Amino acid sequence: MSFLKLSQVTFFYPRKLKPALTGLNLGLEKDEITAIVGPNGSGKTTLTKLMIGVLQPAEGEIQLEGRPIAGYSLAEIGRRIGYVFQNPDLQLFCSSVAEEVGFGLTNQGCEPATVEEKVDFYLDYFELAAYRNAFPLHLSQGEKQRLAIAAVLANEPEFLILDEPTIGLDAYRKKLLEDYLKKVARLGRGMLLISHDAPFVNRMAERVVTIENGRIQSDSGRKGNAVYEA
Amino acid sequence: MEAVVVQGLTYQYQPGGPFVLKGLDFQVGRGEIVVVTGLSGCGKSTLCFCLSGAIRHNRDGVMAGEVGVNGKNIREMRGASLALEVGMVFQDPDTQLFSPTVEDEIAFAPENLCLPPDRIRETVDHVLDLLGVAALREANPYQLSGGEKQLVALAAVLALDPPVLIVDEVMSQLDAGGRKKVAAVLERLRGMGKTIIAVEHNLEAVAFADRLIVLENGALVRLDRAETLLADRNFMTARRLIC
Repeated sequence: MSFLKLSQVTFFYPRKLKPALTGLNLGLEKDEITAIVGPNGSGKTTLTKLMIGVLQPAEGEIQLEGRPIAGYSLAEIGRRIGYVFQNPDLQLFCSSVAEEVGFGLTNQGCEPATVEEKVDFYLDYFELAAYRNAFPLHLSQGEKQRLAIAAVLANEPEFLILDEPTIGLDAYRKKLLEDYLKKVARLGRGMLLISHDAPFVNRMAERVVTIENGRIQSDSGRKGNAVYEA
Repeated sequence: MEAVVVQGLTYQYQPGGPFVLKGLDFQVGRGEIVVVTGLSGCGKSTLCFCLSGAIRHNRDGVMAGEVGVNGKNIREMRGASLALEVGMVFQDPDTQLFSPTVEDEIAFAPENLCLPPDRIRETVDHVLDLLGVAALREANPYQLSGGEKQLVALAAVLALDPPVLIVDEVMSQLDAGGRKKVAAVLERLRGMGKTIIAVEHNLEAVAFADRLIVLENGALVRLDRAETLLADRNFMTARRLIC
């Protein structure tokens, strides 16, 4: 049974005659890193929003561990699937960097000492400790991106969806992110990457799914050896 | 005469706060593409805001030193006259787009310059074709994908045809086709004598640049020919610009 399973999923944006996604069938597992690639506007981000229940399909069904995702609350989905938005400005809302990283943990009822320990760890790892008390939206774009990723990783979700996670990251920070994501994957947590960054995809992904015009054009299959040529 | 002259440029976001830019001095010639790179948070976008006049006119920080564009000091320039000299494409297109349709977005600046309607239509058609986004003409900019938004933001700035163009990671969300298209447009603009200052982390994407500037903690640590700097792997590795 796939962790996330999409069956014949079709989606229309309001007042659009042409579907953004058409008849998609896809299963995602927790023991692999999958990348979805495709041209701008092909429906990649839309697909991930359906997977976390923010959008609902017009046709077809999405299941999370065998149950229709429509039967889960957004909070339940949020605990299982961590989602890093393409634009960190849409994700950051706390008054300090440390609060942002600890927000999810605090809301899950973690002990303050545990929250503090994890916040310290993630701020150190992503080199944000110097900005602990800064207002998140005053950071540079690359710093905001690292913060958004750190805040999601700190919750240690079972599955991660990262939409263009390397935007704004310099080569060094990209390497740090890759190392950490590989470590997360080794712990048995699944991952879906949306990216135009071909070298990043080729270093990270075990499976590459290509979408064009809202349809799956190719799928290297589980643990495939597909190479993404941008 | 150089198109952009920066002398002793420093900037603090708050009085008494840390210096985000530390005494930058450089010049950029007409018809030159200069790429600014450096680790996140080193001051690249702040430099763009200073060069475009956005900091001088819209922020309360402390700017010292001078920025000259085509012989004019940006401190003495205001609104429309500044926009006619320098166009800037922001790193995050969501902060730049505001019109109900792509067409309106691109027409906004020419309309505000009171250009004749025929000329505005011609300009809109031209930049839509140039960037390959004509099919998005009637779309709501906020409903576009990240990469499409970047192309529309660039198109809206090109509609003013500024002699100096500043683009802040304008290719970061583009697919390979989009990156090639934007690179070709930038090269074409250089051929027309435009001056381009581009912030970029992906140095392979801007191999066509004439020179590179490397910033580190707000200071300019190197300014060199692009091919010379890209070939200096010891320097690039030591500065963590390649891994």
